[in-house]
Amino acid sequence: MSAPAGPSATWRDWTARLHLPTLAVAAAVVAGWWLLSLRYGAYVLPSPAAVARGVAEIVATGEIWRHTGASLARIAVGFGGAVVAAVLLGLLAFLSRLARGVVHDLLAVLNSTSVFVWIVISIIWFGLSNWAPIFTTFMITLPVVASTLVEGVAAVDRRLLEMGEVYRLSGRQKFTAIVVPSTLPYLVAGMKVGFGLALKVSVVAEIFGVTSGIGYVMNYSREILATQMVFVWALVMIGVMTLTDKLVFDAVSRRLMRWR
Amino acid sequence: MKLEVSGVGKDYLIPVIDSVSFTADAGEFLCLLGPNGCGKTTLLRIIGGLEPATRGRVVLDGSPVAFDQRRDRKVGIVFQEDRLLPWLTLRDNVALVLTPFGRPAAERGTAALRYLKLVGLGGFEDYYPGRVSGGMRQRAAIARALAIEPDLLLMDEPFGALDAQNRRIMQTEVRRIWRQTGRTIVFVTHAIEEAVAIGTTLVMLTARPARVREAIRNDGRVERARLIDDLNTMIMEEVERQQGGGPLGG
Repeated sequence: MSAPAGPSATWRDWTARLHLPTLAVAAAVVAGWWLLSLRYGAYVLPSPAAVARGVAEIVATGEIWRHTGASLARIAVGFGGAVVAAVLLGLLAFLSRLARGVVHDLLAVLNSTSVFVWIVISIIWFGLSNWAPIFTTFMITLPVVASTLVEGVAAVDRRLLEMGEVYRLSGRQKFTAIVVPSTLPYLVAGMKVGFGLALKVSVVAEIFGVTSGIGYVMNYSREILATQMVFVWALVMIGVMTLTDKLVFDAVSRRLMRWR
Repeated sequence: MKLEVSGVGKDYLIPVIDSVSFTADAGEFLCLLGPNGCGKTTLLRIIGGLEPATRGRVVLDGSPVAFDQRRDRKVGIVFQEDRLLPWLTLRDNVALVLTPFGRPAAERGTAALRYLKLVGLGGFEDYYPGRVSGGMRQRAAIARALAIEPDLLLMDEPFGALDAQNRRIMQTEVRRIWRQTGRTIVFVTHAIEEAVAIGTTLVMLTARPARVREAIRNDGRVERARLIDDLNTMIMEEVERQQGGGPLGG
């Protein structure tokens, strides 16, 4: 974006950079929220002030780290496992045309299986333990990451591979110099979407049977009629998502895209 | 290195190349001419070992060239698209093709730089392909082909995507590079003027299925304008033949 000359133009750039328009809308929303909360009462719609107090409370007691940490730990295992499995499937699809068809069909089936199916199955198989949300996260995230990656594998430019053939590059050299850089953007994109999904799914799965984590504490707050805490933890989730997007995925994407 | 093409033919569902034979002596600059779709690119790919011939054989410096087999001779190919890896700098692109020779990274980088300078890209070695012009990318592709010190350099209409001005410049450049390196070059083009300007031998192919229509030594005995005229007439005849013949003509 080119910056036009002049002081008024700079002011416009700065308002955009600080997301001032969004903040203005957000302020309006909070104002509307406050008015509605007066109408509906603390059980249905807690006031913004109550939510803010709740946030301060969990930060002070350190609860925010405990439950966020527990959720993230489960997500790390489920999501991490899914990424590893997706890479293996991608490799398989690259090496064998036969495998590509099977992988494609497998992913189609997994993609159309709902979260609840996995939650129920995982509770039956793993009982009320940490493995239930981990397994659910794994099964929901895997098809998302794998589908994107397989698409990337199919999109590798055959002409570049042929060039590698002409110059007698070994299979390994062709893989590291051509296939990997070609598919990496797809993998990162898939991981970004997959992580968002993993966060949402894991939190839902935590409602059933675990004793820590964001989903658990949200559900517990609901049971003890502390609705403002439900909102508080929803905000925590949004915060985690935004932070990982900005600090992890966007940074990695930018680094990979240097050459564009 | 000397290249002998003997009776090479290629059929897909229909014969694309009937039977083509010609020889390029070591250090020659041979231009393959013909109407579009006559099989020039296929022929070049067979010579480069990228496709199998249905008939005939190709021998490079006494060693046969076959598809999908270990080759002892080094062949560099410059395609119509530059086929550079967009995520590597120009220098790394050229250095990449030196990895099969087992030299250390620093040496490969120096060699790559030397060839980039040879094609006039000194100073651009750390640029990514996306940041330089099409002409410069093709130069880099040429540098890459030269870096392996090929026994044979194949070029498939490498300047087709360039504008007329850049095309002229690149023709002079290729001629200069050929003189400096002394490589045997087989250069495919459908542009008569281009072939006459840079080739030492001109081989004109017929319409599909291709045979050799004419093989001419471009040594200045025939006046250039006259040569271009004759070749233009010839190629237009072949273009008509190809348009007129069969459901797949043209």
